[in-house]
Parts: sequence; C-alpha cells; structure tokens
Amino acid sequence: MKIQFATLTTILFATFSSSAFEKESQTPPIQPSKSVIFLEAQAAYDDRRYAEAAALYEKLLKGGINNLEVEYNLANAYFKNGNLPDSILHYRRAVYAAPRDPDIRANLHFALNAAGAAEPVPSLIERFFGTLSQNEWIMVAIGAYFTFTLLLSLGLLIRSTKWTLFRLSLLPAAMILISTAGWWQWRQLDIRPEWVVVQSGTTALFGPIEGSTAHYKVPLAALVRQRSSDAKGWVEIQYDGKNGWLKEEYIQRVFP
Amino acid sequence: MMNFEEIQIGWLDRKVRYWTFLILYSLFASAVPALAADVKMSIEPQLISLLDRAVLKIEFINTKGDTVDIPEVDGLRIQYQGQSSETRIINLKRSSKVIHKYLVTPSRIGDFTVGPVNCSYKGGQKEVTAQLRVIKPEDDKQAQQISEIMFSKISTDHAAPYVHESFGLDLKVYIRDGVQIDGNFSLRGGIPESGLEGDLKWDVTHKEQEERNGVIFNVYTLRTSAKTLTAGTFSFRPQVQLNVVIPRQDRRPYGLDDPFFGDFFGRQETRPIVLDCNTLKVTVQPIPLELRPDSFTGGVGTFGFNVSIGPKQVKAGEPVTVKMRIFGRGNLSQITPPTIEASHDFKLYEARILSSKTPNEVIFEQVIIPTSDSVTNIPAIAFSYFNTKTADFRTLTEGPFPIEVEAVPQQAAQVIATIPSSFRQETKILGRDIVYLKSIPKKWKTINSLAWHRTNPFYISLAFPALFLLVMASISANRNALANDVARARRQKAPKAARKNLQRAEQALRKKDEAAFYEALWDTLVDYFGHRLNLAPGEVSLSAVLARLPQQIEALEALFTTIEQRRYGIQSGDNKTDMKNLLKQTTATLRQCERIKR
Repeated sequence: MKIQFATLTTILFATFSSSAFEKESQTPPIQPSKSVIFLEAQAAYDDRRYAEAAALYEKLLKGGINNLEVEYNLANAYFKNGNLPDSILHYRRAVYAAPRDPDIRANLHFALNAAGAAEPVPSLIERFFGTLSQNEWIMVAIGAYFTFTLLLSLGLLIRSTKWTLFRLSLLPAAMILISTAGWWQWRQLDIRPEWVVVQSGTTALFGPIEGSTAHYKVPLAALVRQRSSDAKGWVEIQYDGKNGWLKEEYIQRVFP
Repeated sequence: MMNFEEIQIGWLDRKVRYWTFLILYSLFASAVPALAADVKMSIEPQLISLLDRAVLKIEFINTKGDTVDIPEVDGLRIQYQGQSSETRIINLKRSSKVIHKYLVTPSRIGDFTVGPVNCSYKGGQKEVTAQLRVIKPEDDKQAQQISEIMFSKISTDHAAPYVHESFGLDLKVYIRDGVQIDGNFSLRGGIPESGLEGDLKWDVTHKEQEERNGVIFNVYTLRTSAKTLTAGTFSFRPQVQLNVVIPRQDRRPYGLDDPFFGDFFGRQETRPIVLDCNTLKVTVQPIPLELRPDSFTGGVGTFGFNVSIGPKQVKAGEPVTVKMRIFGRGNLSQITPPTIEASHDFKLYEARILSSKTPNEVIFEQVIIPTSDSVTNIPAIAFSYFNTKTADFRTLTEGPFPIEVEAVPQQAAQVIATIPSSFRQETKILGRDIVYLKSIPKKWKTINSLAWHRTNPFYISLAFPALFLLVMASISANRNALANDVARARRQKAPKAARKNLQRAEQALRKKDEAAFYEALWDTLVDYFGHRLNLAPGEVSLSAVLARLPQQIEALEALFTTIEQRRYGIQSGDNKTDMKNLLKQTTATLRQCERIKR
C-alpha cells in the first residue's frame, strides 16, 4: 500500500515537472529572418562596421527578441563604436540575465574601466544572491516546494520513516526561504533600479533642485544605483559610496 | 452648610470646566494662525562686498511649501542649501515656519534683484522679490570682479602630441598679493572625462611672484602629464577651487546662518572660490596609417628592444622560452607582444607579461616548441613602434636565434608535448580588448513569450502538491484516529460485517439451506450489533441491544425472537416466502438502526 502511494506520488511529481518543461520547449522555432539579421550583424562587426552591427542588433531587440546573446553582442558593437553608455547599459542587462557568464562580466569590467567609472561593489549578501538570476531563483524555489510537499506527504504515509522524512523536509523548506530572499534581492532592482549616466559633465547635486550645490562629478557611462526619486524627475543616486541628485534626462534606466 | 460631598463635587465641576476651557482655547488659538499663512523672501545681509556672500531665505509662515526654483541672476550664483523648520508657542499661540535657504555668491559688483519668485503654498501663492547690493572689497577698491583678484591659466608644452604620447600641462594660479589662502587647491572638473589614460595627478611645483598690469600676483604652478587613448581635440578648462581666508572683523556680522563659517570662535573664516580659467585645446594626432609596418604593435614613444631565448639545446617537443624586453619612454602598458612568425616546425603559445621591477620596461615571455629536429633556429623577431620625436615608424629586429633540436622517438615526443599545458594555464589574459561576440542562439526568446514558470497553467498546477498534501494529512489523521478509538473503528466495520452475513443468508436461501440461512441471519445480528455497539461476541443479546437502541424496541424484539426461535426450530417458517420476508425485515431493521446516530 505504502509503495503504491509512493509510486503514485512520484508519478504525479514527474507529470508536473515534465508538463512544465514541455512549456519551455514550446518557444517558437528559429525564424530565418532573425538568424540572417544576427549573422549580418556579426559580419558587419567582423568588418569593423560597428555602427551598422549595432543597428542590426538593435533591430532584433526592437522586434521583441530577448536573447542575452543579442544584448551582449550589441554591447560589444557599441563599445567598439565608442558608445560607452549604451555599451555598459546592455552589458548590465546581459549580466542580469546571466550573472555567472565570465565573458559578460569581463567586458563590463573592461568597459567601466575604459569609461573611468567606478565598478559597483556589491555586499557579501548581494554577491551570494547575485550568483543566480531572478528566474533561476524562482526555479529553485519551485523545485524546493515540490520536494517539500513530496517529503511531507511520504512522511505522512510511511510511518516507519516519518520523522526522518520530516527532518529531511527542512532542507527544501530552507531552500524555499533562501530562494525567496534571492528573488527579493533581484526585485530590489525593480524598486531601486540601476541607471547609466548618458551625458558627459553630469554633476550630482546636494538637493533635487536646479542651482543646488554641486556635490560630485559622475563620469559618463557610470553605473549608479537609485536611492529615491521625486515627482519632478529628480533621482537620488548612489555612486562610489556617495549620494547625490541627478535629473532623469542625464541617466538611462538599466532594468526594464 | 454644605457637606463634604457637595464641596468635592463643586471642586470637580470647576476642574472640568477649567480643562474644557483650556482645550477649547488651545484649539482655537492653534486654528487662528492657519488663517495667517504667508510667504517671505529675504537676503541677509543686503549689502556685501565682492568677497562676501549672503543667505537668501524663503519662509513659509504657518504653512508648508516645497523648494522653489530661483531664476538665474547675472552676476550671482544661487545654490540651494536645504530646509529647516521652526515651531513656537508663545502665550498659547502657536506659529510655525518652513525655511528654504540658498547661498548667494556674487561674481561682480552691482545692485541685484532676485525674483519675482512665484511661491506656492497650501491655500494660495505669492510672488516675492529681494534686493542685494554688492560693493568693492575694502582692501581692493579697483576690483570689479573676482576674476580680477584671482584666476588661473593652463598651458601645455606640446601643442600637437600623438595618441599615447605624453604631454605636460601647466596650471598657474594667480592670486593678488595680500589675499590670503589656506594653501589647498582642488580641481572640480573641466578635464576631459574620457579618452585620457588614467587620472591626472597635479603637483604644486613652485611659487613665484609676477607683475601684471602694475599689480603683484602670487603665482602657484601646478604640473601634470597626460596621455590620450584616442586622437581628436581635447579641451582643458580646469576649475580650481581654493579657500580664501577673510579676517572676520572686516566683515559684516550677518548671523550664523552661513554654512561656510570656517572658524566659529576665531577671528578668521574661509570661503571656497572657484577660479576662472582659459580653455586649452590640445589636438591629438592619430598614428599615421601610411607606412605602418606589419610588426607595429601599438608602441608610441622612443624604445629599445632585446630578445633572449633559452634553453638553446632541446629535444623535439620540448619548450623553448623567448623573452622579449621593450624599454624606453612611451606607452609601455599599451604595447602588445611582438609576433613570432608562425611555422609548421613550431608550436606557438600565447605570450604573457612578466612582472618587472624596473620602471619604463615591459617583458613578454612566449613559449615556442620545435616539433622536429629539422629546426635550426628561431626566426628573427621584429618590434616596430612610432617614434614621436622623428614622427616616423622605427623597426628594431633581434635574431634569428640558432638552436639545436635533437630528434626523439615518436612516443617520447608525444609525452613531452603534453608539458606545455602548464604554460597554457599560466598564460594570463592580457585584458587589452573585450571578449569576442557570442554565437547565434539555439532558440529565439521574445519579450512576449513567458517562461514556463510564469504561465497560468503552471500557477494552477502549483496548487496540486498542496492539495495532495492535504489529502495525505487527512488520510493520516483518520488512520490515527481509528487506531486510537476501537469503538469508532468497530462502528465503521458494522455495516460491512452485516452485508457480508446477509449475502451468506441470500446464498443459503437460494440453496434452500434453512439451517445455514438462520445461522447467517443470527451472525448478521451478532456481528452488526457487536461492532456497532462495541460489544464482545458473547455480550450481544436482545436486552443489551435494546438498552442501547431503545428507538427500535418492537422491530428488534420481533427480529431477535423470530430468528432465535427459528434457529432452534421452536417456530416454523419453512416456506421460502417467510424466509424472504425475514431477510427483508432484517435488512430494513438494520437500515433503521444504521440511521440512528449514537
């Protein structure tokens, strides 16, 4: 009887998982036109026609394509074309999608160095939660949730291993908490997004008003983090450990 | 005469009346000032000298107001400083103020009007203006503007440098003799933000006096050297900030509102001033494309080059290390390693930079592996650079380098050939360019295509594990309850036991087995009521059942009596119809009993 229940539960779990992954595989097949544009852009990049390459990658993005390869290649094209703000913007977006990709991180680091901008220094907790992307944390949470319910159900059914299974279920329960924290960490980017400085000569002010005392210069293409904002289009930013106010027209939001 | 209770009630009454009056009065008193909301703008002091500053205040009295954009006034720099608030209660009258402060710094003398400024507040708006007069400093009656008292000038020693070529920048700070400064200079921008290699480090090299138009100036010279990463025109207009020390007794007292009071209890204060400066345009020339040798690896400046190899006697498949040293003045950090001509006889590995203790040199190390004993030398290595002094390309060549390569059996050569993997691991990325493009994605994702974990069916499916868990918990709870409550467990078994025996009775009826039929009916009663009333098999009797189920006395009496009598042959009911009726009666009675809640 117990074996039958355990088998039934496993089959149910497997059914959920497989149906979920079937959805993933339902993404539309490769459209020739997109592939052609992508390859044309690559050829233009190889021929050092960086502006043309960037325009083609932008065309893909504007067409609704959301692949990190496009973001990354576009950032490369912008970088080679001397457009550091847009380059850093797209590198950062690519980092959000694939935080462990060494190529993206290396190029972002390189571009920030070229811009003379300070690199954001995440805290230990931010670094930990930044190892997985927001989607990855969600998947970890879902997996942990299924495992948690499965272990509890088995614990209720099989009396002999009840307490072992209950103790074991603490592990997925902890994973649910950790992954929720990871998701919340990424959610913060929606609440307090990062911005890229897109105008040279930008100066952070002490207050959200024209004519306020200048506080410090923010280099072109610097990555800054929002602290707060006001209704008149001013954003309080943090850069290199210092706070200051900038007008929204000087910066572009990274997180969509 | 009033008694004690009447006195006490009267005292309490007075007390209540007093507090009621006090509360009402306070409410009224606090409401009155709300009617007197107002906005005022003032500048303190209204008369200052060119080296002084004033504080502009916008006061929202008994109301609240946001920061106000002050229109630009030619000759004045107005900077927002922050807000403060005050609340006063005098004679039970409450008044409040929200004060926005701005620092006003003049850059020339004259009469100025700030405003009209439109101030909005809760309940209305008002236009306000304020006046300020700026006069010449007392110790310098000629100066009309700050730029006549102190200014800076920037110049270069190289008007048209090449990319990566170092050029000097001299920044001279002129301060009229007699004006005191605290000696600290800081640069607040005006330097190109991109295209320069590294940050500029300015050093004060010397101080001298210079006469300009009959006026003596103290001149401080700040010097730095710069290199650019790209060609083009670079504009330098550094904003030098310094602190002027002003004796307090020479200044007007205008309160403690000035946030730049340097020395509160002393006799001096400092005031930060940003100096005017000329714009220096440096046109940086690109490295020419014409006559550029293939061996050019980005060197710009004047360099020397030498190469050493070792060991010079190896077996085929063994590594030879080539060290290339470039030294001199120029962009050493931008130079990529000179290339060694590729050949079928060699296997080449990436060059890496060796750390060098000597400044003005860079050393590259490259591993090269001769693959056959036919190799007699390592080819010559050329290093080309652009000489900024002669404005042409120069090529320095070293080698070829003779080596002796000994032939080895094939198997041994293969083993040795694995050694260079260690060199590969040591080879570090030079980090001189970005990583190349990513290849075409295997599948295209669109913004509109949701991830599987964000679809509605998936959200719904999330409920299933929880429901499954609930069902399991319910089953488990029921199982535990039955294990702990024997009466309840037996009660649940009763109908099943009755059905089983009734089926036996039906079979006996079909077989016309009278004895078995009545035995089965009796077992039905014993099993059903035994389970139903939690009685031991020997305890089931008519009296025991009736004591617990008094609602069915007649039916049960009849049933028990009839079955028992026929079972022992006391009463005959042999025909099939009677037996059928008895079976129906038993079934009906047990159904009735089953409906009774107990």
